[in-house]
Amino acid sequence: MALLDPDGRRVWQISPVARRIGVRPGLTISQAIGLCPTLRLCEPDPVHYDAAFARLLAALNNVSPVVEAAELGRAFVGVDGLGRLYGGPKEQLAALRAALAEVPGGHERLGWGMGKFVSWVAATRAEPGAAVIVPRGSEAAFLARQPLALLPLDPDTERRLRLLGLHSLGALAALPEQAVVAQFGALGRRLWRLAAGVLVEAVVGMERPEPVTATLSFFSPVADREMLVHAFDRLLERALADPRRRGWRVRLLRARAELERGGSWLVEIVLKDPTAERAVLAAPLRTRLDQSPPARAIERLAVEFAAFAPGTTALDLFARDATAAARAERRRALRHATREITLRLRRPMLYRIIEVQPWSRLPERRYALIDFES
Amino acid sequence: MVASSRASLRADRLRVLNAPRPVTVDLDGSDPVAVWLSASDRSVVDAILEVWRIDDEWWRQRIARRYVEAVLEGGARVVFFEDLATGHWFLQQA
Repeated sequence: MALLDPDGRRVWQISPVARRIGVRPGLTISQAIGLCPTLRLCEPDPVHYDAAFARLLAALNNVSPVVEAAELGRAFVGVDGLGRLYGGPKEQLAALRAALAEVPGGHERLGWGMGKFVSWVAATRAEPGAAVIVPRGSEAAFLARQPLALLPLDPDTERRLRLLGLHSLGALAALPEQAVVAQFGALGRRLWRLAAGVLVEAVVGMERPEPVTATLSFFSPVADREMLVHAFDRLLERALADPRRRGWRVRLLRARAELERGGSWLVEIVLKDPTAERAVLAAPLRTRLDQSPPARAIERLAVEFAAFAPGTTALDLFARDATAAARAERRRALRHATREITLRLRRPMLYRIIEVQPWSRLPERRYALIDFES
Repeated sequence: MVASSRASLRADRLRVLNAPRPVTVDLDGSDPVAVWLSASDRSVVDAILEVWRIDDEWWRQRIARRYVEAVLEGGARVVFFEDLATGHWFLQQA
């Protein structure tokens, strides 16, 4: 069995049986099938992974305010100053373990060490559900035994290091630093310092403004590009109008979709120039839609503003924000009134009309009513 | 593992707006001549303004409708359609 990567083009994760037959992560589908004709391919569910990782980060945040998400499934936790609260490394790891117990799964591997690299290498050496501690002062000895592949190497640098007969971090660290710098430049300096355990990179906590999400459920799955573009426009409009977006420009935009008959589709767009303009946000979404469209029709679509940059550059945006604030105030008053009505009559009597498929040829599919408080 | 992200949070809370309402229609051949808006309220069709057809979702449960926009005796404007799969008539705002 093999799990495809989020693009659905290459093998991402494999079962032990598939590994024994020779299937490896990174192979194309045809290469994998060539090696193992009975291989069962599973489509990825990036939205599910994203949600699981978000929960994991939230759990870690309960222990330390400094949490850095390195990549899906890998996070760093800053523990400076937590000694008085939890105790030594063992106790800190126990606190993390207790927090992670709240998150379904339980196969996390933990590593404790000075700096991100040492702690990550320690985690890779731990058994699932266990932890490895690298005491202060023993970083170099611990790293010396580890394979060279743990360094952040590009294939060419890795090949050159292997041609030099270097297979472990200890072998690299044993070389004079200047000699490595002479061969590999600034990258060589960084690699040597990581291998020697002298480069301590601190954990950078995440900026955590509240994400803004707008979602749309389709009555019947939609695959038509124009309809999806229209849906994206409406969702962006709704998300931009959210009062929580006030004073912020969008830096990280995510679009998620749940597909017909299972599976999901996820695109993530980092904007070089953060913006609060719908047209500018919509353009890269359209491009992604063309480049890697969803494999099947979409049942539910969501747009999420996941990271922000402060301030706005255009004056008219402040005016728009003032309108949004007034609208939010009216919404609060209505929400209060609805709660009163529900309390007295025991059922909500106020509804909102929302667009569902305004382009549909079937009139009953275009709009729907939803409880006002939803 | 977390709960499946496919779980719909809101779809079950949506109420359909402008759902088709079954009506009885008297026909002359294929042309509507009167509409029973209730069991005792028969309205004669004064004029037919427009007729159009919608075919959709042929890839799953095919939907085929013949819509009629008509003016009833008394001046009310109504839109109703015939479900071409079942032959039943429904009232609906287009």
